[in-house]
Amino acid sequence: MSSNSSTNSINMSRRRFLKTTGIVGGGLVVGFSLAGCAPSELPIDLSANGFIPNAFLQITPDNKVCFYCPRDEMGQGVTTGLATLIGEELDVHPQQMDVKFAGVHADYNNPAMGLQGTGGSSSLRAHYLQLRQVGANTRSVLVSAAAQELGVAIDDITTADGFIIVAGKQYPYGQFVSVAAQLESPEEAPMKADADFRYIGREFSRIDAIAKSTGTAEFAIDIDIPNMHHAVVVRSPVAGAKLKSVDKSAAQAMPGVTDVIEISSGVAVVAEKYWQAKTAAAKLSPTWEEVALSKVDTKTVQDDYAQAMQNEEGVTGTDEGDVEAGLAAAEHVVEAQYWAPYLAHAPLEPMDAVVRIENGEADVWSGVQGVGGMQGLVARFSGIPAEKVRAHNTYMGGAFGRRGTLTHIVEATEVAVATDKPIHLLWSREDDIKNGIYRPASLMKMKAGVGSDGKLTAWQAKRVGGNITPKTLENMIPAFFPGLGDSSVDFIVGLTRDVFSGWMVDHSSIEGISEDYDAPNKIVNHVTVEHDVPLTFWRSVGHSYTSFAKEGIVDELAEKANIDPVEFRLNNTVNNPRLNNVIRVAQQHMQKMQPAEGRYLGFASHNSFMTDVAEIAEVSVKDNVIKVHKVTCVVDCGIAVNPSVVRAQMEGAVMYGLTATLHGDLDLQAGAFKQSNFHDYPILRMQEAPAVEVIIVDSGTSPTGVGEPGLPPIAPAVASAVFKATGQRLRSLPLRLA
Amino acid sequence: MIEFRLNGETVTTDDDPSTPLLWVIRDTFKLKGSKFGCGAGLCGACTMHVDGEANRTCVLPISAVAGRNVTTIEGLGTPENMHPLQQEWVALSVPQCGYCQSGQIMSAAALLESNPNPTADEVDAAMSGNICRCGCYVRIKDAILNVSAQKLAYNAIDEVKA
Repeated sequence: MSSNSSTNSINMSRRRFLKTTGIVGGGLVVGFSLAGCAPSELPIDLSANGFIPNAFLQITPDNKVCFYCPRDEMGQGVTTGLATLIGEELDVHPQQMDVKFAGVHADYNNPAMGLQGTGGSSSLRAHYLQLRQVGANTRSVLVSAAAQELGVAIDDITTADGFIIVAGKQYPYGQFVSVAAQLESPEEAPMKADADFRYIGREFSRIDAIAKSTGTAEFAIDIDIPNMHHAVVVRSPVAGAKLKSVDKSAAQAMPGVTDVIEISSGVAVVAEKYWQAKTAAAKLSPTWEEVALSKVDTKTVQDDYAQAMQNEEGVTGTDEGDVEAGLAAAEHVVEAQYWAPYLAHAPLEPMDAVVRIENGEADVWSGVQGVGGMQGLVARFSGIPAEKVRAHNTYMGGAFGRRGTLTHIVEATEVAVATDKPIHLLWSREDDIKNGIYRPASLMKMKAGVGSDGKLTAWQAKRVGGNITPKTLENMIPAFFPGLGDSSVDFIVGLTRDVFSGWMVDHSSIEGISEDYDAPNKIVNHVTVEHDVPLTFWRSVGHSYTSFAKEGIVDELAEKANIDPVEFRLNNTVNNPRLNNVIRVAQQHMQKMQPAEGRYLGFASHNSFMTDVAEIAEVSVKDNVIKVHKVTCVVDCGIAVNPSVVRAQMEGAVMYGLTATLHGDLDLQAGAFKQSNFHDYPILRMQEAPAVEVIIVDSGTSPTGVGEPGLPPIAPAVASAVFKATGQRLRSLPLRLA
Repeated sequence: MIEFRLNGETVTTDDDPSTPLLWVIRDTFKLKGSKFGCGAGLCGACTMHVDGEANRTCVLPISAVAGRNVTTIEGLGTPENMHPLQQEWVALSVPQCGYCQSGQIMSAAALLESNPNPTADEVDAAMSGNICRCGCYVRIKDAILNVSAQKLAYNAIDEVKA
């Protein structure tokens, strides 16, 4: 999810944050939400007893420190990162903490979003000061309690790794929790100077590494509760098509099958074991209604986009200076169109959830990017009030934006209600590829001019495609506002759709297409063309395709003007000094590289999620096969809270982006996606994976995003190298040589 | 009724003989470390050892393992007593989402059992059946080669001692 919220929101929340009451030994724990709503119960396990100074921490008399992590772990290392922030100021090593995923409460909202969501590479940035402040406040209370209990002055106390230290003697924090609970917590205890950091900026193993290396980390697929039944759903291959008819008898007769029922998305088969449900579901041959999408092929989409590109002006976004005059003044002008296809996220864990409804209450387990939405959907589709729905977030087996859309929770809830059984619902890989929610396809036309001084004179960009925001609202409003009626939801979503088709540009659709370069004359137009393919955020969102067009046209223009493409970028990013510096650092590395014969270097850079990244791809082409040997990645993400995690995110984003660069493609045939599993929707494998060197630029500024920004530069960097190797400008993803 | 050895213990099941081993291990024996990713033997998340060899168990019917030895990630090591590969996985912070890692480690363990000193290309070949969607390949490969090098060092020390 993209967001432009500034750090102002952090400062605000810091002051208004956490007027909570701490209680030892269970009992009511009251948290006052940031929004000033009525106090509500914190979803904290009170059986462990202990000091609960706020929504995030629980310290027990035996000195266990539990951190209720407000953000969701999809592999990006957020549990390690956020534990590091709170641990730094609390003086507890992050690896010593017991980290739990927080339940639903406004205190756990993402300060950059105002709701409990994880995405947009926002977590470290949004929580950087907030969680450090919480840690500092809690440490301060513990120090005060220790001073009182030990009869020493506060100034004589230091702290380290969960201990109070007085005159060389160590006392565990746990010893003082009873007294601490009686004291008032300061709201703005002083925080450390950066120079005093002991954990921030240091490398240690991810706190989930042991669980994830021994098969003991719990994902939603692993949840197992008494009397749990397994559900498999058969859905229409064409999105939005309703069930026309189905003969349930053959499936119903299969061993272990208890129920075959119709739900809103299709037909659900319920059995005692997963394989029984899966086998029985294969006996169903439902027929489906025709919808408008049923007549759409990939060629329809491409033709419609091409026509719209030619005939429609669309809505104007960025509009600065006079582009026509800028183009007229240019010495060289280039124009080209770029294409990016629909893509599925394909997290390795397919969508899954467990829902149990009993005695007017409900439990739901799933790994999602918004635990509040999961609670809201169970409430909406079971009729149980949200406060009686306990939402348990688990580790996510990958997400990349996919686990922000929670139709699997709707399905599991509908099945649990209809069958009166605890339900474990699991999608197959085929369901994931064919029935998903996708990165939109895009056609982009770029035109740019450069003057004799090597400076851009004009920048013109136009994108044709579908918009993410209306579909996202369609899924999120029912989740976060379970009490809102369907007609109100339809009205809001319809309004949003109209707004982004005719009045203003959906920022997610064009983000990154014009911002990085200094051209004095810029115009961005957008034409919305929808084909009812469900769309959502996909790692780096709009940047995932705009970077390909934006960096591609710069490469083409530099070539035409006979200017070194890296030098060209340096000359035209003066107004973005941090990006400019990243390009300069990468240039210095590139100048030292001596690729072997037959290998070529391609360069690209991009700013996204407030982070600047430049990548150099070392590429060879043999028998029309593109091989990427090495990628050098220079990143400025502010302070790298854990440099190992930052490097891992860059390495991973390069691989994720390379899958899209070299393989990722989905074909529509009569409204259905043709691809179904990893044989025809291939994912990069180890033998194709390049070596990746990550260079983190030293920085003293607050952290910015790392989960997504490593992705946008890779496709244009590889395309640039392929041009050097073959002379072919490849302007369609995935890259395929003629 | 099918009988086999699971992590060293003899077990029996009356699940349908065509049921893939993965689902018998997960749903009947409740060992959840091995994962489902594709159901077609394409991603390796379900990898277990059958008589010491890496197998894609989402497409392996239990009838095929009757009387044989099955080892899952739970049988390879535990958080308290990790296999050298698992230790190296932790040291290098290999996992991101972690969902594929049981399968990755089982493939790597089978490789080092049969070839304690693989080349980088041999690692690629042995691991080519395991997808990591988070793209942890650089670290997976480093971890395998590190363990291989360490084991060779241990063996050399043992030889000197002998």
